[in-house]
Amino acid sequence: MRSNKVLSVLVENKPGALFRVVHIVRLMRLNIEGLTLGVTNGGEECRMTITVSGDEAAVEHVARQLMKVIDVLEAHTYGPEEMDSRELALVKINTDRVSLAEVQRNHSARIVDSSAHSAVVEVVGSAQQIDDFVSGLGSANVLDIARTGVAALPKEVQR
Amino acid sequence: MSGARAIVEALEREKVEYIFGMPGGANLPFYDALWDSKIKHVLCRHEQVSAHVADAYGRVSGKAGVCSATSGPGATNLVTGVATAFADSSPMVAITGQVSKAMTGRNAFQETDVIGVLTPVTKYTIQPLSAAEIPAAVKKSFFIAQTGRPGPVLLDIPKDVQQEEVEITFPESVQIRGYRPSVAVDSRDVERAAEMLVKAQRPILFGGGGIRIAGASEPFTALAQLLMAPVITTLQGKGTFPEDNPLSVGPIGMHGRAEANKIVSECDLLLAVGVRFSDRSTGNFHEFAPEAKIIHIDADPTEFNKNKMVDLSILGDANEVLMMLFEAVARRAAKKTDDNAWLKHLEEVRETMKGIPAYRDSYSELSGPKIVKAMREVLPPESILTTGVGRHQMWAEIHYRVLRPRTWITSTGLGTMGFGLPAAVGAKFARPDVPVVDLDGDGSFVMTEQALATAVEHNLPVVSVILNDRSLGMVEQWQRLMYNRRYIGIRFQNIPDFVKLAEAYGVEGRTVGSLAEFRKNLKEGISGDSPMVIEVPVSHEEDVFPFMPPGKSIKDTVYGTTKESAIF
Repeated sequence: MRSNKVLSVLVENKPGALFRVVHIVRLMRLNIEGLTLGVTNGGEECRMTITVSGDEAAVEHVARQLMKVIDVLEAHTYGPEEMDSRELALVKINTDRVSLAEVQRNHSARIVDSSAHSAVVEVVGSAQQIDDFVSGLGSANVLDIARTGVAALPKEVQR
Repeated sequence: MSGARAIVEALEREKVEYIFGMPGGANLPFYDALWDSKIKHVLCRHEQVSAHVADAYGRVSGKAGVCSATSGPGATNLVTGVATAFADSSPMVAITGQVSKAMTGRNAFQETDVIGVLTPVTKYTIQPLSAAEIPAAVKKSFFIAQTGRPGPVLLDIPKDVQQEEVEITFPESVQIRGYRPSVAVDSRDVERAAEMLVKAQRPILFGGGGIRIAGASEPFTALAQLLMAPVITTLQGKGTFPEDNPLSVGPIGMHGRAEANKIVSECDLLLAVGVRFSDRSTGNFHEFAPEAKIIHIDADPTEFNKNKMVDLSILGDANEVLMMLFEAVARRAAKKTDDNAWLKHLEEVRETMKGIPAYRDSYSELSGPKIVKAMREVLPPESILTTGVGRHQMWAEIHYRVLRPRTWITSTGLGTMGFGLPAAVGAKFARPDVPVVDLDGDGSFVMTEQALATAVEHNLPVVSVILNDRSLGMVEQWQRLMYNRRYIGIRFQNIPDFVKLAEAYGVEGRTVGSLAEFRKNLKEGISGDSPMVIEVPVSHEEDVFPFMPPGKSIKDTVYGTTKESAIF
C-alpha cells in the first residue's frame, strides 16, 4: 500500500543527526519528497518533518527503526488527517503572460519581488493548496518554484 | 594531558586488558601513549582480523572487545569485522585514527569518511573534536556498546585531537538523552505470558543469542524444566540451553535439526527469547509455527513484529523477565513431569527422524558429520568452538552438541567467511583456561589465515581443523541442488598445502587420513601450548542435509537427494 504519511522526528541537535535519520529512510528505499527541519527547545533539539513516498509498511518500519537511533528522541508517523501542516512555496511567475493583480486577487499570494518580466510570489498552505495554486496558473506561466516541504505537528499533544 | 594519553587512561578506567590492532600514521599519538600503559597491544596482520578477534573476545567475555586501526585503508579494512559484530549484536569498541581537523575534506593522505562508511553497521559513532571531549566519548562508547542490545561503536579520533594538550577530567558516568537501555519489565505482561504458558498443551521454548548476551541460560533452563517443554534454538542460540539435556531438540532453520523444525510446526505456544525471527531460522515467515500463539521476549523493541507477528511481546532484559516468568508460572502450576502427551509425541518425532539419511552414519569416514561428532567426543564440555562460514559450520549446527553458553562462537547474521581463526584467537585471549578450536573450511580459512602469526606470537594453543574439500562447498551444494549443476566459480584449481602453510607461520601442521588419526591429533592439539592446524581432506560432493531451501517453509525441507529421502 502506498503511503502519504509524514515522519515527524525529534533529534538531539548535533552534527550527523540528519545523516543517521536519512540513512534509515534510504535503507527502506523510501523517496524523500519533502524535508523540513529546524532547531527547537532552546537549541537542544531539532524537529524534522519528512514527507516520504513508498510502501506504507516500510514507512512504519522506518519509524520503529528510528527509535533505535541513539540521537533520535521521538519518531512518529502521521497521516494527513492527524496533523496540522503547512508548506511555503516561492513561485516565479511570467508577468508578461499573467496579471499579477489577478493572481493576488484570486489567491492569498503575497508578492515578494517583482521585475520587468517576472515576479516572485509567496504562497503558504497545505501541500494540496500549493499544488492547486501552481496548476491554476498554468505550467507555461510558471518560471520556477521552490517549495519548503511540509512542516507538521500532530493534532493531539502526544499519541 | 594529551588527547592520546586521555584515550589510554579512559580505556584503563574501563578495565580494558587488550587492544587488537595495527598502528599507522593517524593513530601514532595513541600508540605512543599506549607504550606507557599496562594495556597489552596485540598486533594483527589485517584490520579485518583485528575486528573479528575483538568481536569474539566480546562474545566470550561479555565485555566489549577493543580493536584499533589507522585512518583510510586501516579503517575501511575494519568494515567487514564491524558489520559482523553488528549483525550478531556483539559488544565492540573500534578506535580509528583520523586525519587532522584542518585536513578534513581535502582528500588528505589516508582520509576516509569512516563515520559515513560505518554508520550503517554500528550501534553508534563518536568523533571527539577536542581532547577535552575524549573521556566522555570513551565512556559513552563502552556504555552504548555493552548495554541494551550490544553492538559495535566507532570512536574516530582526529590526529590533532590526539596531540592536543589540555586539562582533562574523567566523568564517572555519562548521560545520553536518546538512549535508555534498561526498562522496567511490565509485570502484567509477564502474568499474561505465564497464563498462556500453563494453559498451553504443546508449548516450546525458543532461545536465541539474546539469552547468551543477557546471561539468562539459568532461568531459561529452569523454566523449561518447570514446564517440561521442549527447547529449540536459533543457530546463534546454540548452547544457551545444554544440548545434552533431554528437552533439547536443537536448532531450527535452514540447516536445523529435522526434529526441531518438525516440532516447531506443531506447537500451540512458542516462547521466543532473544531471537529476531531471521529468515534463516524461520524460512517463510508466514508459514512458521502456524498453529502457535507466540510470546516474544527481547531487549530491543524494534524486533517485535518485525518479521513475524506475535501475540504478546515483553520488553526487557531476558534474565530479569525469565526469572519473573518462572515465579509467575510456579505460582500457577506445579512442576510438570515428562509423562505427558506432548513429550511422548516429541519422542515419536525423534524416532521417525532417526531414519533420515543425514542422521544415519552413511557418510564417508572423513566427512563433516563424522568429524564434528568426533570433535564433541574429544573436546571437554567447556571447550570453545569457533567456525568459519559454510558447510562445516552447518554440519556443526546439526551434529555438534553445544553444552555451555558462550562456547559456540559463529557468525550467523552476516555469515562472514574468515571469521573462524581470528575468533579462536579472540576467544583464547578471553578464556585462556579452556581449549579453543576453530572448525573451518578451506575457503574460509584462507581469508584470514594470517591470524596464525598472532597466535604464534602469543603462544596461543588454538587448533584449526580445516575441512578441505578444495571447493566453496556450500555454494557448490546450491549450484548442485538449485542451479542444475551448472558449477561456476567454486572449484579451487590451486589451494595451498595447509601443512606447509602452517609451517611457514611456525605452526605445527598435520593432515589426517582416518577418524582415529583425527581424534589423536585433536587431543594433542588441545593439550599443547602452541597453535596447530589439522587438515582433513573431505569430499566436495557430500552435501548438508536437512536443507530448507531459501524462501521456502519447513514443510519443503529436503532431507537428501535419494528417493528414500522423499518420505519425510
